[in-house]
Amino acid sequence: MPIESAVPLLLDNPFQRGYVPSIVYVSLYVSVIAVTLSTLVSLPIGLVMGFTQFPGKQFVKSVINTGMGFPSVVVGLMVLFAVSNQGPLGALDLIFTKQAMIISQFVLATPPITAISLAAITGVDENVRDAARALGGTRLDVALVVIKEARYGIATAVLAGFGRAISEVGSVLIVGGNITSADGISKTRTLTTAIQLEARQGRYETAMVLGAVLVTIVLLVNAIVVRLGETGAMNR
Amino acid sequence: MIRLSNVSHSYGVEQVVDDVSLDVEPGEVVAVIGPSGVGKTTLLRTMALFLEPDAGTVALDGDAVWDAAEDERLALRRRIGMVFQEASLFDASVARNVEYGLRVRQDWRERIREQLRSLAGSTNPAAAVEDALEVVGLADKLDQQARSLSGGEAQRVSFARALAYEPSYLLLDEPTSDLDPRNTGLIEEAVFEARDRGIGVVVATHDMHQAERVADRVGVLLGDGFTEVGPTERIFDDPSDERTRKFISGELVY
Ligand SMILES: Nc1ncnc2c1ncn2[C@@H]1O[C@H](COP(=O)(O)OP(=O)(O)O)[C@@H](O)[C@H]1O
Ligand SMILES: [Mg+2]
Repeated sequence: MPIESAVPLLLDNPFQRGYVPSIVYVSLYVSVIAVTLSTLVSLPIGLVMGFTQFPGKQFVKSVINTGMGFPSVVVGLMVLFAVSNQGPLGALDLIFTKQAMIISQFVLATPPITAISLAAITGVDENVRDAARALGGTRLDVALVVIKEARYGIATAVLAGFGRAISEVGSVLIVGGNITSADGISKTRTLTTAIQLEARQGRYETAMVLGAVLVTIVLLVNAIVVRLGETGAMNR
Repeated sequence: MIRLSNVSHSYGVEQVVDDVSLDVEPGEVVAVIGPSGVGKTTLLRTMALFLEPDAGTVALDGDAVWDAAEDERLALRRRIGMVFQEASLFDASVARNVEYGLRVRQDWRERIREQLRSLAGSTNPAAAVEDALEVVGLADKLDQQARSLSGGEAQRVSFARALAYEPSYLLLDEPTSDLDPRNTGLIEEAVFEARDRGIGVVVATHDMHQAERVADRVGVLLGDGFTEVGPTERIFDDPSDERTRKFISGELVY
């Protein structure tokens, strides 16, 4: 489809009022919260993996590596089971909710964020850690220094995780159900699942418009990643 | 006084120091000289309470360090400053680097408040920070980024960083081995300033001339221990140990 016919589509607003913003909102809401939670979990794991030896470390490493390549539909399936009536989280009644989507995005985003953060953390000069300790830093102080020194790499990790989460379609479709409310406002419909639906129903133009929105968001995030990478490299 | 008594340490099977004793008093400069690989860094890391020796005791003003609980040990360690052979500055401004020791000694509420203030762009470095930078002649570099400093300037900032929180003892591990004469001179002047402030300074160096210039006492580390420890002049003019004499006269080549 030529671009010029997509622009009027946006302007003419072929969708219900508030439909597109609500989809963008759900996409961002789910991805941002999931990635934030992943980061909060990944950084301590990265610090512990980076600086301590413990039994089972190799196992954790292989879990992370496997997790990076884990098929998202399978993650979705497992989360769907977990939140279903028979599942361990069944009592929380999370099936087809944003919360369930956050859980599956969290599972998907954590391995890459941990792996990239770990690489950045282990890249921090050992002398800098020693310096923090020598200057009177506690373990926590040293950890904070390491995170600060690794900030560009960690930012790259977070944005890469965000990129994976927001582009992902399989698991959010399974656990979220691609639902809109009666007035056409997205409940669990994301950009990716909306695109999938529009395309399946033969509404290629609207699918393309939503695709353009998604690509814009992803490109924006990638531009920031590249930019951070350059800044980080410059600082070495 | 930092007191090492009969300290031994090995890495795996390799015995590095064996049965070494050394006292460092406030207000004196002690040089530890010896060839590369003899164990100077190991000894300094032991004095900095970084490294628990395999045997022997380390005491700071009478407190046996490794018998103490971890938080007591932190308090003891905070009375010691260490400058490493490599400057290893943080990727931040010179002021933030030199402030670090003061910052970690503040309580969290103060630290968070200061962090917010620095994010807002208003930096007001503590007097101790400016003073420490003054000692190494870099008071004008407060706002410069550490990574943009020359090697010599970075090492001087590293010195200031350890001086700023007014430690009782300052351990310098080959502080000038990569520096030009001018920066070396500035570091040595800073050593005298530290001594005049009552700080006990230990300088590990393989440069005997530096030891002769700065030290009140010298310990000669050869093999796995001190061949002798004594007043600088006596060690250089009239060593009592044959290996010391050979090392100082350059006959003993490692
Ligand atoms: N962390 C370590 N692990 C194993 N061997 C080490 C370690 N640190 C130092 N050594 C060895 O111990 C010896 C003394 O090293 P070091 O204390 O650095 O000497 P110096 O500072 O006088 O050059 C050297 O042979 C060195 O290879
Ligand atoms: Mg050394």
